[in-house]
Amino acid sequence: MNISPTEAEEALTAIQTMMQKTRRAISSSGAYKFLILWGAIWMVGFLGSQFLPKEIAGYVWIGLDILGGILSAIIGIRMNRGVRTSVPTSSGKRIAIFWLLLFLYCFAAVAVAWPVDGKQLAMFIILFVTVGWIAMGLLLSFASVWWGLALLGLSLVGYFLLPDIFYLLMAFLGGGGMIALGIYVRNRW
Amino acid sequence: MAELNETIHQTVRLRIMAALVTLETNEELEFTYLRDLLEVTDGNLGAHLRKLEDAGYIIINKAFVERKPRTYVSATTNGRKVFSEHVAALEAILKSK
Repeated sequence: MNISPTEAEEALTAIQTMMQKTRRAISSSGAYKFLILWGAIWMVGFLGSQFLPKEIAGYVWIGLDILGGILSAIIGIRMNRGVRTSVPTSSGKRIAIFWLLLFLYCFAAVAVAWPVDGKQLAMFIILFVTVGWIAMGLLLSFASVWWGLALLGLSLVGYFLLPDIFYLLMAFLGGGGMIALGIYVRNRW
Repeated sequence: MAELNETIHQTVRLRIMAALVTLETNEELEFTYLRDLLEVTDGNLGAHLRKLEDAGYIIINKAFVERKPRTYVSATTNGRKVFSEHVAALEAILKSK
């Protein structure tokens, strides 16, 4: 079988394109759902912190975190259904377990540091969620690591330098930014 | 020197193999997932998969997932070897230009 160098180049390009497309399809198949989910939770939670009485806002956050943990576990289990592995513990299940453990750690850290005020509690949650985000980025799509770090930086700036508008900043820039990024990831990949 | 493989060189089969060798050795792709990745019809994909299976380059597994029939496809060890030889042959042709 003989082919020209031009045909060989076209075939190699087709191979590279297909490999890249497959990697992206597998890695991005569920990542955007985490972003949209936690973006919505942050938006509702921080708006609650801004406008609701402190005690009620606390209950709203607890409810949202439990809901987020359960939905994250479901998303993790359902991820990459197009790919089946012969290894008994699939990556989806491991991701779900990781998120559940992360929330247990978060609750433990808050309990150890108690009493904490609303902003400190929010920063605890942000720190743990961004750790989870960065870990997901390292596993699934490295580009999103930078977004996780940017969100962490934004949160720290808001906490230390803009305490008066911290909750609103987190609701719209943090939560809204995560939703926008999730939609971007879904459409671009 | 590595040689070109006529079975694999056909465009759709080349792309099928490229997708399958991207997976880990213990992973399989579901038929409809692969079809959507390649943007081909069920019949077209099925025909090309049969040729690759007959050549021993892929394995097709059928299973029930949540009571629904699913077809999974993976590259065999020989398929991965032949594909890498094909890629090496393509690169050699390009270098000799």
